[in-house]
Amino acid sequence: MSNVLIVDDSSTMRKIITRSLRQAGLSVDTILEAADGIEGLNALGSNTVDLVLSDINMPNMDGLEFVKQARAQGCKAPIVMITTEGGEDIIAEAMNSGANGSIRKPFTPDQLQEKLGGLL
Amino acid sequence: MSLNLNVAEWAHVQEVDMARHIIDATREVFSTMMVMEVEDCYPLIEPVTEFHCSITGMVGLAGSYTGILSIHCPAHLAMKMTSNMLGMEVEEVGEDVNDALGEIANMLGGHVKQVLSKGGLDLNLSIPTVISGETYTIRSTNNQDCVVIPFRCDGERFLVGLTIRKEC
Repeated sequence: MSNVLIVDDSSTMRKIITRSLRQAGLSVDTILEAADGIEGLNALGSNTVDLVLSDINMPNMDGLEFVKQARAQGCKAPIVMITTEGGEDIIAEAMNSGANGSIRKPFTPDQLQEKLGGLL
Repeated sequence: MSLNLNVAEWAHVQEVDMARHIIDATREVFSTMMVMEVEDCYPLIEPVTEFHCSITGMVGLAGSYTGILSIHCPAHLAMKMTSNMLGMEVEEVGEDVNDALGEIANMLGGHVKQVLSKGGLDLNLSIPTVISGETYTIRSTNNQDCVVIPFRCDGERFLVGLTIRKEC
């Protein structure tokens, strides 16, 4: 079983991702939530996390900066961006910053299973 | 109301094409995130600026283009949409409904951004803003450069609008 950190400023989206992870039958134990990159870094600093799912467009600290800082502080867990941002350059920037993949919103539980199944 | 000519020229997209993109995105968001079917009633016959017992979710676009993507829903429909998104009954307009409408606007804005900017780095999406109330009026200083699409869902009408212009 795995611990997953969801970083998204929308509480609705955090709930949808949580429900979709369960519906997809993925091996998830504890789900941690953060509303922006700063909260996400704090959660990484005080918990063992096996997978991070992060939005890009967030207040205070966006997902691109979060990925950079998470890697800089030693986070080894896979980070997958779940975002409305589908542009090639912005996804490439996320990958160059240390992200391991991306999922475009809106998504289905099957799409989460397909993208995340190998990471959990 | 029509799509700004500079936008059409730079993005190689005519008004009817942009309307089709917004209709497809709206259908996808509703069917995937809410398990709800929507029917478009494009074009809008009469402009709408005044809303009653409604909620408006908006997201701004800034960069190579500037504009606003907005979704305007009757409160009852917004509660139904939020209930379906969360998988629980929502019976009042509060934090959950506001957050849900903002996120829907965000997803629709992301789709429009991808139409206008394939790379994504030249155009930024704002954090969503949500307005609700018994009666409110929304006016833009530039009512010409917009595409508004009426939809029907669950027996109620809602609108998705895009006001956009090309920056030099």
